Amino acid sequence: MNFHFNEEEQEILNMLHDYAVKEVAPRAHEIDEEEKFPMEARNGLAEMGMMGMYFPEEYGGAGLSYLSYIAVCEELAVHCATTSVVLSAHESLCSWPIYKYGSEDQKKKYLTALASGEKLGAFGLTEPGAGTDAAMQKTVAKDEGDHWVLNGSKVFITNAQYADIFVVFAMVYRDDYKERPYTNKDISAFIIEKGFEGFSVQGHEMKMGIRGSSTCSLYFDNCIVPKENLLGEQGKGFKVAMTTLDGGRIGIAAQAIGIAQAAINETVAYTKERVQFGKPIWKFQNTQFQLADMQAKVDAARLLVYRAAQAKQDGEPHSHLAAMAKLVASETASDVSRRCVQLVGGNGYSREYPFERHMRDAKITEIYEGTSEVQRMVIAGWLGATK
Amino acid sequence: MEILVLIKQVPDDSVEVKLDPATGAPNLNGVEAVVNAFDTYALEMAKRYIEDNGGNVTVATIGDDDATAALRTCLAVGAGKAFLIKDASFAGSDTTAKAYILSKAVAKIEEINGAKFDIIFCGKEATDFSKGMVGVQLASELGVGVATDVIAVNPAEGGVTVKQETETGYNVIDLATPCVVTIQKPDYDPRYPTIKTKMAARKATINEITAADLAVDAAKVGEAGSLTKVLKLYEPPKKQAGVKIQEETVADSTMRALAMIAEAKVL
Repeated sequence: MNFHFNEEEQEILNMLHDYAVKEVAPRAHEIDEEEKFPMEARNGLAEMGMMGMYFPEEYGGAGLSYLSYIAVCEELAVHCATTSVVLSAHESLCSWPIYKYGSEDQKKKYLTALASGEKLGAFGLTEPGAGTDAAMQKTVAKDEGDHWVLNGSKVFITNAQYADIFVVFAMVYRDDYKERPYTNKDISAFIIEKGFEGFSVQGHEMKMGIRGSSTCSLYFDNCIVPKENLLGEQGKGFKVAMTTLDGGRIGIAAQAIGIAQAAINETVAYTKERVQFGKPIWKFQNTQFQLADMQAKVDAARLLVYRAAQAKQDGEPHSHLAAMAKLVASETASDVSRRCVQLVGGNGYSREYPFERHMRDAKITEIYEGTSEVQRMVIAGWLGATK
Repeated sequence: MEILVLIKQVPDDSVEVKLDPATGAPNLNGVEAVVNAFDTYALEMAKRYIEDNGGNVTVATIGDDDATAALRTCLAVGAGKAFLIKDASFAGSDTTAKAYILSKAVAKIEEINGAKFDIIFCGKEATDFSKGMVGVQLASELGVGVATDVIAVNPAEGGVTVKQETETGYNVIDLATPCVVTIQKPDYDPRYPTIKTKMAARKATINEITAADLAVDAAKVGEAGSLTKVLKLYEPPKKQAGVKIQEETVADSTMRALAMIAEAKVL
């Protein structure tokens, strides 16, 4: 497998790197400390055309490769993990299912606005009682003839407060649900606009990491949804959700390796400056061997991430590859960022330095868009079915 | 309004460049070539000017094929056309020779564009050798007015009004067009390219102009046409470490300082 970027892609990545160094990195600390949504970067990325970079130009995208998009998620995470997830929730979780399952009208109306960055997207699957057990959706959509009526709620929704367009999931109501409980075959996907009657975004989760990202709950109180906003076929929503998450996981895995790489880069720089026992602590073999081990692990994880991205780009089965990439990358990020805090010592624990932020940011990559345990379930499912 | 922005490709000024002890020349290994920062401000100001008042921005540089990267960077952030002024005989030109070449190039580009330039924007200096001469010398060659250290350009009757930054404040100057302005950093930053402009710039044509196209006098370009010659580059001597006086009171510190000065027979 060849993961080289062509000259054009490399130029775009260099351009993004330049932007991230000058505009994203300097705000990362403030974004974290003040739980501040990275609005400047959200707007800057939109202006640059990064908010829909791998969608076709006819829908407002730039027609670049999926692998380049994943490299952008990674590069942004090197400088600010929050900014990376804003992009990835928007592009992987909201724009992609509309691109993949949406009607031509839906693509023209919603994908174009999302891919151009004019509108921000979010994805609503998780509920208080339906986390890993996503099929236990309690949100219900009732067919009222010329429209749908949604009732229920969603939690932990990334981008929620600032999003304009949401892809959400609900059970399609049927009269016999008491005798014959809902299953995942009753789930359908819907496109919700911020201003729909009966729809509201509330609360703000106080989080351990990625503190600048907006994580809120969605409420549907007799929310009126136009008939044409059903996304994909009725009853196929579970598939929409799962295939969307397959792609989303690659973006989160890229975020994880970005965080880990940032921790390593900054730890190498720090240990070259920090003098103990008469020499920079970088000179001690323990420091060098630990960082060498960490870099090898991050590079191994990166190859898994790029392999999954390439498979998705080539239209090959990638559910298990995405799960492996996310499992390894996220656990690597947590391990590496924790070890970097230890190498740096007291300053590693201080909020004046970025090391502890990387450790806090890394943890979420083991949890959202499927916990590490979910990734193991997906990988084991593939093993059981194919080996 | 037709605007020409003259740019220079320079080593990345965020990297500390050292002299190579073996050659005495700057060691530029691994140092990326970028568009001179003051030229990026000039281009941004020119672009804003035409966005507000209409017109076209053309960008040009003297350089070899490597300089096309700098021109493409400019095309990605607002320039409409790019010209590379390229000839082996131009090597070793000092600012006087460059101003002469540029004056010829201005006429040639005007002929190709089919329109005269109203304003020529230059950075106030390049970040490599910081001479700050070319813009003024070009104005002299062309026989037009010039304002240096400009931070704003606005349209005015028969020309432009510019705001010039001085050490003590600002001057507001009316300039008849055509004219040359050399640009100081304004209170905004140059825009970033977008994916689309970057991709379009990759495919854009870079027009090349040679000495033959310009009909230059060979005696006025290159080393032959240069009035100055670089004899030697050297690093300034390192500053000696100072002495820190930190007595318990200010009076004691002062007395100690005076004693040291007396001891050194300075007083």
